[in-house]
Amino acid sequence: MQRNPSPLLTLLISLVVCATLAADSLAQVTMPRLSYRDRTLPNGLRVLTAEDRSSPTVAIQVWYKVGSKDDPEGRSGFAHLFEHMLFKGTRNMKDEMMDRLTEDVGGFNNASTWDDFTNYHEVVPSNYLETLLWAEADRMGSLNVDDKNFKSERDVVKEEFRSRVLAPPYGRFFYAIEKYSFAAHPYRRPGIGSIEELDAATLEDVRSFHSTFYRPDNATLVVVGDFDQKQLDTWVDKYFGRVARPDRPLPRVTIKEPERVTEKRISESAPNVPLPAIALTYLTSAVKAGDAYALRVAESILSSGESSRLYQSLVYQQQIAQEAFAQADLREDLGLFVLGAILASEKRPEEAERSLLSELKRLQDAPVTAAELDKAKNQLVTNELRERETSDGKAFALARAAVLLGDATRVNSGIEKLQAVTAADVQRVMKKYFSDNNRLVITYQAETAKPQTNTGSGKKGGGR
Amino acid sequence: MRNFVNSYGRAAWLPLIALLALPSLTVQAQQMGAPVAQETPPPPAAPRSVNVPKPDEKTLKNGLRVVAIEDHDVPLVSAQLLVKNGGEIDPPQLSGLADMTASLLTKGTKTRSAPEIAQQIEALGGAIDSGAAWDASRASINVMSSRLEAALVILADISRNPVFKDEEIERIRQQYLDSLSVTLRQPGALASLVAGRVVFGDAAYGHPLSGTPESLARIKRTDIVGLHSQFYRPDNAVLVIGGDIKAADAFTLAERVFGDWVKPLTPLSKRAMVGKMIKPDEKQRVVVVDMPDAGQAAVVLARAGISRSDPDYFRGIVTNAVLTGYSGRLNQEIRIKRGLSYGASSRLDTRRDAGPFVASAQTKNTSGADVASLLIGELGRLSNEPVAAAELVPRKAVLTGGFGRALETTEGLVGQIAALSLHGLSLGEINNYVGNVQSVTAADIQKFAGGRISVKNANIIIVGSAKDFLEPLRKQFSNVEVIPLADLDLNTASLRKTAALL
Repeated sequence: MQRNPSPLLTLLISLVVCATLAADSLAQVTMPRLSYRDRTLPNGLRVLTAEDRSSPTVAIQVWYKVGSKDDPEGRSGFAHLFEHMLFKGTRNMKDEMMDRLTEDVGGFNNASTWDDFTNYHEVVPSNYLETLLWAEADRMGSLNVDDKNFKSERDVVKEEFRSRVLAPPYGRFFYAIEKYSFAAHPYRRPGIGSIEELDAATLEDVRSFHSTFYRPDNATLVVVGDFDQKQLDTWVDKYFGRVARPDRPLPRVTIKEPERVTEKRISESAPNVPLPAIALTYLTSAVKAGDAYALRVAESILSSGESSRLYQSLVYQQQIAQEAFAQADLREDLGLFVLGAILASEKRPEEAERSLLSELKRLQDAPVTAAELDKAKNQLVTNELRERETSDGKAFALARAAVLLGDATRVNSGIEKLQAVTAADVQRVMKKYFSDNNRLVITYQAETAKPQTNTGSGKKGGGR
Repeated sequence: MRNFVNSYGRAAWLPLIALLALPSLTVQAQQMGAPVAQETPPPPAAPRSVNVPKPDEKTLKNGLRVVAIEDHDVPLVSAQLLVKNGGEIDPPQLSGLADMTASLLTKGTKTRSAPEIAQQIEALGGAIDSGAAWDASRASINVMSSRLEAALVILADISRNPVFKDEEIERIRQQYLDSLSVTLRQPGALASLVAGRVVFGDAAYGHPLSGTPESLARIKRTDIVGLHSQFYRPDNAVLVIGGDIKAADAFTLAERVFGDWVKPLTPLSKRAMVGKMIKPDEKQRVVVVDMPDAGQAAVVLARAGISRSDPDYFRGIVTNAVLTGYSGRLNQEIRIKRGLSYGASSRLDTRRDAGPFVASAQTKNTSGADVASLLIGELGRLSNEPVAAAELVPRKAVLTGGFGRALETTEGLVGQIAALSLHGLSLGEINNYVGNVQSVTAADIQKFAGGRISVKNANIIIVGSAKDFLEPLRKQFSNVEVIPLADLDLNTASLRKTAALL
């Protein structure tokens, strides 16, 4: 194990200090505040709006607080399958009419299903704003899918599964990370599902999912771009105000993920895998928690860019990995921190595991340098700034704060919190979460190279 | 492979951001099948007009062309140094040379080591990137405007003073080889490499841009140094700076960091202006690369298309827009109607000389032959019957809307201007885009589809588990070539290792 920084890294660090002194106060990257209006309709719909007249377009997003973790039992992949269905017919719209209202007028639409929420978003020329508000309200209030459409779109989702999981050499690797990292919480079921459980879904499931989760008091509407506030408010009241709030309770996931008590190891294999891969996963704090900021800084120091610690050590110096990554995959109920590598040829997963562990230990043993901390913050803030170049990006930032973090004001205060992270904070979260007992190790290789002894149980953890 | 994503979206192509105002298209009630109680959507208001920023340009004494384009909405700047040659100049035995050379720019200069370059640019919150494409090699930065000068100094240093240390060459070579080993196991990526060979044979665009296992092993330091000294010179380059910076300031900065870049006395190599690169039309091929246990079959229709400066360019991109995009004909037929794929699309890849036209989709192995015939059928239909206005108007809107959105980010803006500069086109074209698209007629499209990208000369390439689709494919085509993955040779138009021929 590598305890002390290598000569090259020492040299690097001293150079960084020089560079930092030369360019004054690099940490002071500032971010223009995003100002917005926040109101809630009597039926419970949250409405966030921000004017931006820089281009004659407008971004409309509707986020529903329902995600893959809400997949019905035995229906893994259902929330995502459902998301595709919401582009089929409604009371007032024919199949794919959303495309006629967006793509056909020079805009676009898309949607994505996450573990904790599902979002639907469009950007259109701003003279179409009222049309789109009508359309989003219409599909919130009604859904009209027939069996033929349902089956055909389910085939599309099965192809999506094949495109993401079966065809790419590392598709099953990332799938395994999702599948094995949680023992009890529904996060243990990959959001893309499986062919068998997608096949088990019925049209009745679709109807019931819509009436259970697609309701105004479970949704947030975000509009950013070129509009007149008063007129927008009138339209929102008119089209969304009439969507009824049901009096049924909203089901929520309450299952708690138990703490990990001992290291677990899983070995996966698949065809057409040219180079082995390895991942270490750790359970961490939820996305709302204060530790999230320090975890994001740690993620950046480990893996953002070619000056990052994992790239410098595993890819550049030791040449163990073709690619190395760290990801703070922080979710609503708890977080997952993943470190991993796709190996360079002739290298073995054990070598990468040793190096990844040694990089974690370095972060636990000594505080990061001021220069490294500043760099990470500059990268994170500049990335946020890039996201906010467009109305669509601003709408995402606003919606994430409101829906995932439960506090819209964090669209601004989150940046300040990030800027306030100290080297001691980073060291503290590294010590707190990255213990041996909190580790899952997944190794991945070509089917033919599968070792005879499989140390992992290979099955998902317990639970309901 | 890079992205570890745990969200799943409706459509794979994540669009760029922002748009142009368009002629209003009222959605008609007829689209909705209208039972009694139905509502029609509220119609659009009057569109607002949009201003596309106007680029400014200046040529430095050393011949470096500098283009500046202002957009002050967000405090970010993008800059790109474009050398007007890329993979097309790779010698036949040295595929990947231009790309490897460009990648090595960020791996060490006379005064900065590879880690220092990464460290310094990333400390600024920025990113630096370099690589070769067809017809161009580029190095680019994207930073906050207050950090521009520091970043531009590094951009100039890596372009002008790379040292190509042996150690770095070996490192990059190994990374390319490893990365290629992954590409060769991805049905979609591999099909696209095979398509290049099938369309262009042994001509300039035929080889893989990032090399083959054999060619990468042959590349020597002298080849790299030679390419750099021959083509990386101010009179063969363009610098584009766009975003939150005044044009005058951009010119001053450019002069400061690139003004003393010496233009060599020797004239620019003839290889920089290679003539016709495509091979003469030969018999169309149907190539199957057999990858047992492939998770899907990648199906590609490919043929030669047109060059970027072709007078048919706008007719070509509108024709392509009818086929591609979420509601384009390929996705309508393959995904929306039949559920055969997560997405089908096409691309008219215009280059200095005629680039390829490619239509493709990934599907379960057993549907490989069906998807091939759907791709052929849709291209054929486009030449057999005119596109109705009700379809053409929205497809043009997709193009102009997408163009407008691309201009909304500094990177997108710089990318568009760089493409015009590279092909010696008027920078004013950026302001005429909408008009140029609107002027294309249904007759133009029919003619273009039946002539310039006629299905008659189209090749089919499928990478997948051959046993699952070979039988129906052989019923459609008499000339199916089946190449086991182990026998595939990307170094030659025959695509077969010679031993396998015995």
